[in-house]
Amino acid sequence: MASSTALRELQRDLENKANDLSKLQKDIAKNHQVRKKYTIQLGENELVLKELELLMEDANVFKLIGPVLVKQDLAEARANVRKRIDYISAELKRLDATLQDLEDKQKSKQETVFKLQQKVQSFQAGKGKA
Amino acid sequence: MSSSKGIGIGGGVGGPKTTAPVATELDKLSVEQLRAVKEQADLEVNLLQDSLNNIRTATARLDIASNALNDLSLRPQGKKMLVPLTASLYVPGTLDDADKVLVDVGTGYFIEKTMVEGKDYCERKINLLKSNYDQLLEVATKKKSIADEVGIVLQAKLRQLTPSQ
Repeated sequence: MASSTALRELQRDLENKANDLSKLQKDIAKNHQVRKKYTIQLGENELVLKELELLMEDANVFKLIGPVLVKQDLAEARANVRKRIDYISAELKRLDATLQDLEDKQKSKQETVFKLQQKVQSFQAGKGKA
Repeated sequence: MSSSKGIGIGGGVGGPKTTAPVATELDKLSVEQLRAVKEQADLEVNLLQDSLNNIRTATARLDIASNALNDLSLRPQGKKMLVPLTASLYVPGTLDDADKVLVDVGTGYFIEKTMVEGKDYCERKINLLKSNYDQLLEVATKKKSIADEVGIVLQAKLRQLTPSQ
């Protein structure tokens, strides 16, 4: 009797750990998606900065704000784009750190789940013999 | 006339977080692992093909924009034209100064350029896309050959296993 409740407990524990693991994997997938989006934006902004820097000081720059093209100061536009690039780079670095952390947690969770599975199996084998 | 911007040029290949275990001998892997490796390789090849298609589309659009620019530069000032207000509504108008063009450089920024600079911009973008396309093509062919190799080894393994029953 005691051994079967212990077995059930082990199995419940295994289920919980497996759920945690799948949640971790979903988080990692989401992290990758956000990372992809940021990488694309970073690339686009760098292209824009290159174009802006090629311009002579008297060229006109416009920004699309809603349906309106608003004239911008070249220096201001450059500064804005640079700031955006810095922001996106910082976000990417933050995401990298989070991803590393998630992957480490995932690895350790996988090990825990595996060990639990082995325990359950040996338990069931033990019960069978007795 | 604003030119079309490239469709996510740099970011097309941002996704695959692959760590292909090509260092290990393909022979040593079991059928299951071989199958998994082949699936992953096929997935990567598909992704790369998609990116290649995207780049081709973007290059085509830039080509059209460049041609439109060239055409525009031939038109004299004051020429009568029909200006599109919506996809089905055009209003008559006259062509003003065709020497200045507005170029869409991305993230909502538009730059006023002369006709010459505009053409130059299109050229530059097209060349950039072409070189990206070539690089991508190289990577894609390499990945495809790996995928094919894995497929061959997998089939050989399967044939080995089944007669030995």
